[in-house]
Amino acid sequence: MKHIENIEEHVRREKPHVTTSWSMDKRVLDDSYAAMDERLAATKQGPAAAIHMRRTMRLAAAAAVTIIAAALLLTLGRHTPNRPAPQPQFAAQSPTMIVSMISLRTAYQQGGWEALDRQFRDTLGQLGPGPSSLSMQQLLESSNGS
Amino acid sequence: MIDEKILVWRFNRGSKDALRRIYEKYKDDLLGLAVTLLQDRSFAEDVVHDVFVSFAASTGTFQLSGTLRGYLSTCVANCARDRNRLRAGRDVGLDSAEAADCDFAGPLESAADREVSGRLESLLARLPYEQREVIVLHLHHEMRFRQIANALGVSINTVQSRYRYGLDRLRSILNGMVTE
Repeated sequence: MKHIENIEEHVRREKPHVTTSWSMDKRVLDDSYAAMDERLAATKQGPAAAIHMRRTMRLAAAAAVTIIAAALLLTLGRHTPNRPAPQPQFAAQSPTMIVSMISLRTAYQQGGWEALDRQFRDTLGQLGPGPSSLSMQQLLESSNGS
Repeated sequence: MIDEKILVWRFNRGSKDALRRIYEKYKDDLLGLAVTLLQDRSFAEDVVHDVFVSFAASTGTFQLSGTLRGYLSTCVANCARDRNRLRAGRDVGLDSAEAADCDFAGPLESAADREVSGRLESLLARLPYEQREVIVLHLHHEMRFRQIANALGVSINTVQSRYRYGLDRLRSILNGMVTE
């Protein structure tokens, strides 16, 4: 012993050789298997719950989309009949102008520019200068001379 | 090494056969470590039992960074240290625990002499627990000082000084035995 120069080598060489007993092996393995089973059961429960949750969430999302779409459709459907109809665009702004335009157009179609010019002059001669906002009745009255 | 990776891979997929093979492969080694550290066979068996049950419960999430042997040895060392603290506190009280760890041959050492075969174990039993732990992990389980430091949660300098003081004490015990 006194001559042991390298104590490390001595310790390394003298590593104990211990063997487990049958009863210890059984106890360790049985309890380890039980712990493993418990863990595996918990792990399996985990993904199943997650998938279930995912399905529920998917259904909830689909329901939400459906509700929003239905609400939008109902809102749009309700608003469409109440929307004001587009106003027709009239070239002439008053009955007087309509009659004037008809008469001028008829004169142009029948006699060209000369007839149109004559119609202008006759009209101005009969009616004289007047406001453009005359009603149809006033126009007829003025043209009849009454 | 590849075999070990495959075993761990199978173990993580719930293979009981893989768990059994891991146990069969390392059981004697780990029990030897626990016996050397605790100097008590029944305590050592409890430690190995607890380590394997915890290991089995980690199936599916276990990640191996080093070697499986190193990992399990670290677990055994940590568990043995906890047991030793409990035992020291229970047997002699916390105040005198340090003194009991030193070099008089108390009941634990006598038990060790009876239970552990070989002279070296009885000599190691006369070392303070911390020194014994470092020497055994380094020389019997081939763990590097840095690994031991990480496993024990102390600095590498502390590990090295424990190792050095432990060997010095062993040497002096051996010399004393020869001169007696």
